Amino acid sequence: MLRDITFGQYYESHSLIHKTDPRIKIILLILLIVFIFLAKNGFALGFAVLSVITIMLITKIPLKLYFKNMKAILPVIIFTAVLNLFYGESGKVLLSFWKLQITTDGVSRAVFMATRIILLIFISSALTYTTTPNDLTDAIERLLSPLKFIGLKNAVHTLAMMMTIALRFIPTLIEEAEKIMNAQKARGADLENGKFTERVKALIPILIPLLISSVRRAYELAEAMECRCYNGGEGRTRMRQMHLAFRDFAVLGASLIICGGILTLNILL
Amino acid sequence: MDCIISVKNVTYEYKNEDAYRGEEAVVAAVKDLSLEIERGSFTVILGHNGSGKSTLAKMLNGLNKPTSGDIFVDGINTKDEEREIEVKSKVGMVFQNPDNQIIASIVEEDVAFGPENLGVPPKEIKERVNDALKSVGMLDFKESTPHRLSGGQKQRIAIAGIIAMQPECLVLDEPTAMLDPKGRAEIIETLIRLNKEKGITVVLITHYMEEAQNADRVLVMNDGEIIADDVPKVIFSDVERLKKVGLDVPQTAELLYNLKKNGFCVDTHALSIKEAAEEIIKALHSEE
Amino acid sequence: MSVLEVKNLTHTYSGNTPFVNDAVSGVSFSVEKGEIIGIIGHTGSGKSTLVQHLNGLLKPTDGEIFINGENIWDNLKEIRKVRSKVGLVFQYPEYQLFEETVFADIAFGPKNMGLSGDELKTRVLETCKIIGVKDEFLEKSPFDLSGGEKRRVAIAGVMAMRPEVIVFDEPTAGLDPKGRENVMSIIADYRNATGATVIIISHSMEDMALVADRLMVMNNGKLEMCDTVENVFKNGDRLRAIGLNVPIVTRVFDELKKAGITLPDDVFTVSRAVEVLKQIKAGGGDA
Repeated sequence: MLRDITFGQYYESHSLIHKTDPRIKIILLILLIVFIFLAKNGFALGFAVLSVITIMLITKIPLKLYFKNMKAILPVIIFTAVLNLFYGESGKVLLSFWKLQITTDGVSRAVFMATRIILLIFISSALTYTTTPNDLTDAIERLLSPLKFIGLKNAVHTLAMMMTIALRFIPTLIEEAEKIMNAQKARGADLENGKFTERVKALIPILIPLLISSVRRAYELAEAMECRCYNGGEGRTRMRQMHLAFRDFAVLGASLIICGGILTLNILL
Repeated sequence: MDCIISVKNVTYEYKNEDAYRGEEAVVAAVKDLSLEIERGSFTVILGHNGSGKSTLAKMLNGLNKPTSGDIFVDGINTKDEEREIEVKSKVGMVFQNPDNQIIASIVEEDVAFGPENLGVPPKEIKERVNDALKSVGMLDFKESTPHRLSGGQKQRIAIAGIIAMQPECLVLDEPTAMLDPKGRAEIIETLIRLNKEKGITVVLITHYMEEAQNADRVLVMNDGEIIADDVPKVIFSDVERLKKVGLDVPQTAELLYNLKKNGFCVDTHALSIKEAAEEIIKALHSEE
Repeated sequence: MSVLEVKNLTHTYSGNTPFVNDAVSGVSFSVEKGEIIGIIGHTGSGKSTLVQHLNGLLKPTDGEIFINGENIWDNLKEIRKVRSKVGLVFQYPEYQLFEETVFADIAFGPKNMGLSGDELKTRVLETCKIIGVKDEFLEKSPFDLSGGEKRRVAIAGVMAMRPEVIVFDEPTAGLDPKGRENVMSIIADYRNATGATVIIISHSMEDMALVADRLMVMNNGKLEMCDTVENVFKNGDRLRAIGLNVPIVTRVFDELKKAGITLPDDVFTVSRAVEVLKQIKAGGGDA
């Protein structure tokens, strides 16, 4: 159940995308998302779909892992699609009841929106599967480093540290939540049945122990970090150095072609 | 004696608030304690929960400061705030729960955390990380996620994280308490190897008596004081005293002790299974 | 009729989770009322998975579990009732405490079973009496107790449901010798007071030799041995082959036997060892 959430988990493999500089990957992710949402017609979107599928194949990550992430977010996709379905103002009316009507325009809006969200999830998963959480936070720290010139140096480092720790503890806390759930179930707690309010109440025996244990963990972790001479970002070096290599520029180039392609198809067709 | 740590008349007090009664009392966890740890030695500190052994451990690297008295690490007073980092890099600490000591999601990145904080150049960090992982036998797991490792493996990663700072002394506060027998054996083997091969001073705090068998020296703590300080054989032969302070003895020691009480002529200093068996055979033959 | 019977239990985890799994395959055994059973085996041998089936927390992929002759999965809606018949105390149970007072926390289980009012109060107080939770603790916050006391209260929370079978997953993990002794003695107290069946997962052969009637040895998800303590510990070589061992005192006796002394096969505790050696001494040398 809880264990199915794999978002934010690195998957080891040796693909081109794995080796690409994480800073480039983050920039490209943002760029591609923007262009996916800019795709106006079927051809442009189709081109985006093909490009994203190609990227997914290059990552050498089992495709079922991508689809697993989809499951969790499916209700959101359906909700957005349905909402868009009724938003069509022009086009042929296909169905109409009460004050609502579905038009061909609405259907195409719904399909477009759903496709965009799915692509968004696939492409973000491609980033998190191919980049270790530490690389990711490192890259964010480095991308945000210009902020230090306006006196935000510590803020950037602290943010990156917080992200590193959060990512590290997600699986640990998921496992812990499962253990506590099982333990309370063994004491006869009913987590599956009952009215909404009852179910919310049933969460208390899980949330309190989880909270207490998280506080304990945080305290112990702070001590352990102190023992490892952690003293904030000042004077810290990094084992991993980031250097842009030829492949990074190649990847950047390929991505710009994708963006250009979407733009051209948008205009031409 | 060339000592890496010297503890001089140290007392540690804390306020114990009883929220229920609204009372506040000052409790001394460590009482006027003096101690010297020899460089390169393997010392085990035994004691039941609440005997003050963890409080003492946390003072050895300056994590806690004594209420009175002083602790010197390689001649540096742990109260010297300007040299705090130096003290912590000389005396590394490993705690009970390996999960709560691992900071990064990739093994090698976690091990690099200490040297990164010390400002070691990137190339040297890489070498140190590889050396440290090798010394705890975890080099093959360099790129793994700590989350998927066993308890014993995670604890070895935590030890590697300290080793990468190249400390002179390793203080471990019940590192095996949460592990299964296999994990416990892995940790003890690792510590013995680090002590023998790298000459790192080890201070191991535990309540598993069998882990003390290989030590050069065993200290027994009770109620904030050291009540015994000797080689393992001598410590374990006094079964009655250990039981009185809430400790257990290895089953071999218990057997010999009980035999002696029943009129057998055995030397209760034997610790290993072979030695114990030899003692019993001797005792049986002497009867003939 | 056996209080608990497991027939051909198999559990395989769905293959696509990246987590470490310990599966169970083809395990069968039965347990009589009042018995103390020890389960030994490595981490990952399937012990924890096995015991989570006994109270219906996990549903077997294949096989059946009977409690007092009834298949626990016959009626899906009644599965929660099984939890009060088979109590399960997880590792580090003190991490489940959540109520404001010790009393309320111990009452959580029986309340879920439908007890209320005076009946609930009596049940909690009775349980505390059996295992020695002091009255003065009842109105305290469980979080103000010492580690050992917290564990005692957490165990009381399961015992208060009055299970006929109570299962402990490494009940002494992380405790100091005194704490370990305390936990083992409250387990004995509960059994003596209620006649319940006790199943204990443990890594300590020495503890198991002291308390268990029978031992189940798990290896790679299979039940390697299920027999009396004597018959299991007689098979030292078989235990060593799967990375386990016999109690230390038994290993000392094995050394003595190697030296040519004739000794009985049933020495697994220090007291028995002393008794045997005294007899030999009285009989004059190695008879």
